Amino acid sequence: MNTFISTLITGTANGAIFALAALGLVIVWRGAGVVNFAQMGQAMFTTYIASNLIASGNSYWLAFIVALISGSLLGMIIDLLIMRPLAHKKSSSATKTLAGTIPVIASLGILAILQALAGIFWAGEERGFPTPVNSFYFKNGDGTLPFSAFNLFVIGVVLIVLLSLTYFFTQTGAGLGMRAAALNPEVARLSGIKVSRMRTLSWAISGAAGSLAGLLITPSTNLSPNTLDLILIIAFTAAVVGGLDSPLGAVIGGLILGIGIALVTTYGSPENVFLAILFVLLAVQLIRPNGILGGKQVRRG
Amino acid sequence: MSELLKVEGLSVTFGGLKALNDVYIDLHKNEVLGLIGPNGAGKTTLFNAISGLVPPSSGKFSLDGKNSDWPKTHQLAKLGIARTLQGVGLFSGLTALENVMVGAEAHASNGFFADLFGTSGKSEAKLKARAHKALAWAGATAFAEKLPSQLTYPDSKRVALARALVLEPKILLLDEPAAGLGHDEIEKLANLISQLKEFYSIIVVEHNVEFVNKISDRVYVLNFGEVIASGPFEKVRQDPAVLAAYLGTSIAADAKLGTGN
Repeated sequence: MNTFISTLITGTANGAIFALAALGLVIVWRGAGVVNFAQMGQAMFTTYIASNLIASGNSYWLAFIVALISGSLLGMIIDLLIMRPLAHKKSSSATKTLAGTIPVIASLGILAILQALAGIFWAGEERGFPTPVNSFYFKNGDGTLPFSAFNLFVIGVVLIVLLSLTYFFTQTGAGLGMRAAALNPEVARLSGIKVSRMRTLSWAISGAAGSLAGLLITPSTNLSPNTLDLILIIAFTAAVVGGLDSPLGAVIGGLILGIGIALVTTYGSPENVFLAILFVLLAVQLIRPNGILGGKQVRRG
Repeated sequence: MSELLKVEGLSVTFGGLKALNDVYIDLHKNEVLGLIGPNGAGKTTLFNAISGLVPPSSGKFSLDGKNSDWPKTHQLAKLGIARTLQGVGLFSGLTALENVMVGAEAHASNGFFADLFGTSGKSEAKLKARAHKALAWAGATAFAEKLPSQLTYPDSKRVALARALVLEPKILLLDEPAAGLGHDEIEKLANLISQLKEFYSIIVVEHNVEFVNKISDRVYVLNFGEVIASGPFEKVRQDPAVLAAYLGTSIAADAKLGTGN
């Protein structure tokens, strides 16, 4: 029974992190129409920055905040230097049908560049990453409770982020502006909204969300230029399962995958995790092709 | 009377087709201007050009007597120009109130970092209050919390109007405000427009000539992308060129310039 409960809690904590990464993908998809395959590459990069800060004697919390800020800056830089110029490029008739895939391919290029740079700067060695609180199970007399302080920390942090994002998107003018710009750019412009600024803003928010996911997951995956690739695959699956354009869907998708993977690891075998991810993806696509909470119109130019 | 808005020598080309050719219009303060003409005459293209949605191939734009560069779409609100769309164009995922708040937010025009970190709760409350006021003006208070898909067509038009009003513009561009409305609704709209005239200068694109007659101080008649007549409605309706455009050649005009005006 204890194993089951601890599996559920670990799964929920990991699921919360996947949800965060998936949410980052959804925000850029909705806000800028790009599936950003570079997201966890950005997160890997900023986690290295945090790791270096900690290694040189700074506190975890300073590193934590610096990583989040550099995450949003990196997102903004990618939009300003690469995505915005690409969007303004007129595509010839031959490439027009492919126009939607151009930024996606660019994001794969960015991922490759970030991984190569990390390899150059940090020699690509795999290193651990600390947790701010104890990651061992709580002691309860002679036995243990089926969860750690870090589990609670992760769930708490993600919950706070989700609540503040919900507040931001529903209660603030800027959040409304972002939703409006995503729903109908032309009409949003008529209302005086700077649509390209809203896009940059979604890259910034998504970059910070991805960085946070990186900081929270690397204690269990370790840190190397490629370790977060798997997280991207899981997060992408979670986003698609949720419907790709639904933030709440991304959260549900993340939790399904987190708990599912934990159950497969505990009661099946870790090798079957990939198979389980594929199974979830296929099952959802077969039953609800638009995802659990996806709108009818998922495709966009 | 002073000219609030003046557009001179405006031409717009789509491919090889001249949708607008050397168009001149001016708008005075607290005036309602009607833009009429057969289908495909270029009325909505003129609106689109003024709102920066289609780029003009030539043209001069002056506001309040000052020449300026041709405005970009997102600058309109700041210049004091608000527009409604023929297709209403409400944001489908937002409630009526949120739709109007989008306009109010743009009016507040924050810096990037204010956007990033969210504005203070106080200004959000102000936003909401302004949006409610605009909804009240447009007679749309009752469905503030409804989604566009739950609204009737006339009601969604009211919300769209509120979204334009919340920008507190000097100039209102109304694109076919009476289209799809019943007789009583049109009556109410005419009253509303004559009330709004006290605060705004208004240009109306409209097919319903009766309605235009009722609300407009002056009208411009467009045909084949050119202004063929202008002046008070009673004078313009006698103009032989206008009669020809409406009675004689409107079918030919549709066939030739079927760009959905």
